[in-house]
Amino acid sequence: MTVQVTASEGGIPHNTIMAVGLVGSLVCLYLTYINQFISAEYAAFFGGLAAVFALLWGTDTIKHLCSYGIGTGVPSAGMIAFGTGVIAMLLATKVETVMPYSAPIAAVVFGAIVGAVAGWIANSIMRMNIPVMVRSLTEMAIIGAIVLMGFTAVMAGGFSFDAIAAKEIAILGPLTATSYAGSLLGGCLLAVSFMLGSLALQHPFNACLGPGEQQDRTMMLAAECGFLSMIVVAAISFAFVAFGAAILSLIVALVGFYYTYVRFIELSKRDAFAWLDAKPILEPKGED
Amino acid sequence: MSAIAAGSGGGEGINPVASVIGIVLILVTLAITYIAAPVAIAALVGVIVGGLLIGFGVHFVPVGGAPAAMGQSPGIATGVAMLAAGAGLAGLFGGAWAAANPAFDFAVVIAAGAVGGGLMMAITCLMVNVIYIFGMGIPAASGKVAKDPITGDTQEAYKSQGTEGHGLPFISYVGGVIGGLLGGAGGTLIYYELLQVYAAALPTVFSADAAEVLPIAVSLAGIFAIGMFLVNAVLAAYNITGTIEGPHDPKFKRFPRAIIGCATASAVCGLFAILIVVV
Repeated sequence: MTVQVTASEGGIPHNTIMAVGLVGSLVCLYLTYINQFISAEYAAFFGGLAAVFALLWGTDTIKHLCSYGIGTGVPSAGMIAFGTGVIAMLLATKVETVMPYSAPIAAVVFGAIVGAVAGWIANSIMRMNIPVMVRSLTEMAIIGAIVLMGFTAVMAGGFSFDAIAAKEIAILGPLTATSYAGSLLGGCLLAVSFMLGSLALQHPFNACLGPGEQQDRTMMLAAECGFLSMIVVAAISFAFVAFGAAILSLIVALVGFYYTYVRFIELSKRDAFAWLDAKPILEPKGED
Repeated sequence: MSAIAAGSGGGEGINPVASVIGIVLILVTLAITYIAAPVAIAALVGVIVGGLLIGFGVHFVPVGGAPAAMGQSPGIATGVAMLAAGAGLAGLFGGAWAAANPAFDFAVVIAAGAVGGGLMMAITCLMVNVIYIFGMGIPAASGKVAKDPITGDTQEAYKSQGTEGHGLPFISYVGGVIGGLLGGAGGTLIYYELLQVYAAALPTVFSADAAEVLPIAVSLAGIFAIGMFLVNAVLAAYNITGTIEGPHDPKFKRFPRAIIGCATASAVCGLFAILIVVV
């Protein structure tokens, strides 16, 4: 006995969503570099927007993959996305210390390599034989890396390995000391963003799947989950970035969350009303 | 077996070509590590062994999925990824605690991780059975075997009509604990090996005292161990495709594929993790 996963057909093509998600998130990640040229980290909130772009793309990817009925539930896809993504993202932050301005591109490249290997293993060695498996897991590893990088940018204002591994602490006015334990990596805040991101990635389709699934409603929930996670990382950012920059991130996250939540409720009511003339749910042919 | 006969959702048997390519990939990662960071070659082998322990251990854990929540199939009512993550993280806590104490050697650290994972699964299985038996009022019965392989208890008479069994029979409980032990040991092995690499290399990277950068080493090894644990657990779950009752389930025979696959995945992920200190 398996649970039938049904989803809507049509809507915006997946390739279009992928292009918008990839370009949008990369542009937002590069906008966070503005922090290096201004007095405070006011551009940190762009990292959250990059994460939202990537989550929109990821939700559509998960929808494509899970429509094949992978038999392990939707959450497993979100977990493997971030399991592979965190490895790619950390290596990319280290590359950033050697080649400035390369981290977002490096994250995409490393994510694609790790994701493609995982997808190929699942498809060939484990004999899943799902046509979109390799492509989906490749995309999701990239998404995982981008979301983690975006959340890191919100929390710390940047994503260079040195910046997230050490924190300057003021002692007695002009004197400063370097603290490694109080840094973003030392406090293992990456684990927090790991779970925030993976839940935001797997929840929207998991919550909306079924005979009445509509693409615009699922995507709105994805954006809402992204902004909800961004509220938490913006709250964490008070420990690392300037007060004004953290307030700005928090305001952007709250406004985004409010707008997407209200829209999601509207769309849910619309779909609930459309369902009111009680269409029968067709039983799938042939249980395995 | 032809490609046509192997439907979506896990064909049976080993795919020889893919398995050979996987083993070649493992050797390539070992070669790259040997060139880039010769000291880390033992760590990469440890990571690969840890990964295949996780992949093997997942096959023991009785996973029931959504049908188990309705009492229509045996096992714990959640997905493989969630159960494996729970057991792995519980094991990692035990292992990380032991690794932080210089008095404990390698064997004690791995054993602490294994006990942590096994304990988590034992408690989970016990409470699942308590809720099934006293909450839902259904006895534990397997749908895959007529008699429990360990106790010899008959199953058929206790199985409700229209279900594949329900609850956790003794063999599933034992399987869950074995899976927790293997998963906890594997996750801790990955953590411990990476921690040795980072603790040795990071002081030169930051040009700081070893004690100062230890939090970074612990954090990096921990997040990588969690990431690799989830990758291996989900790949093993894809191998099982859905639900499994335990070591007596016919699907258990698929575990050689998971061992090859998880070793390959761990090798690639481990290479990336080790490259962090090389770049």
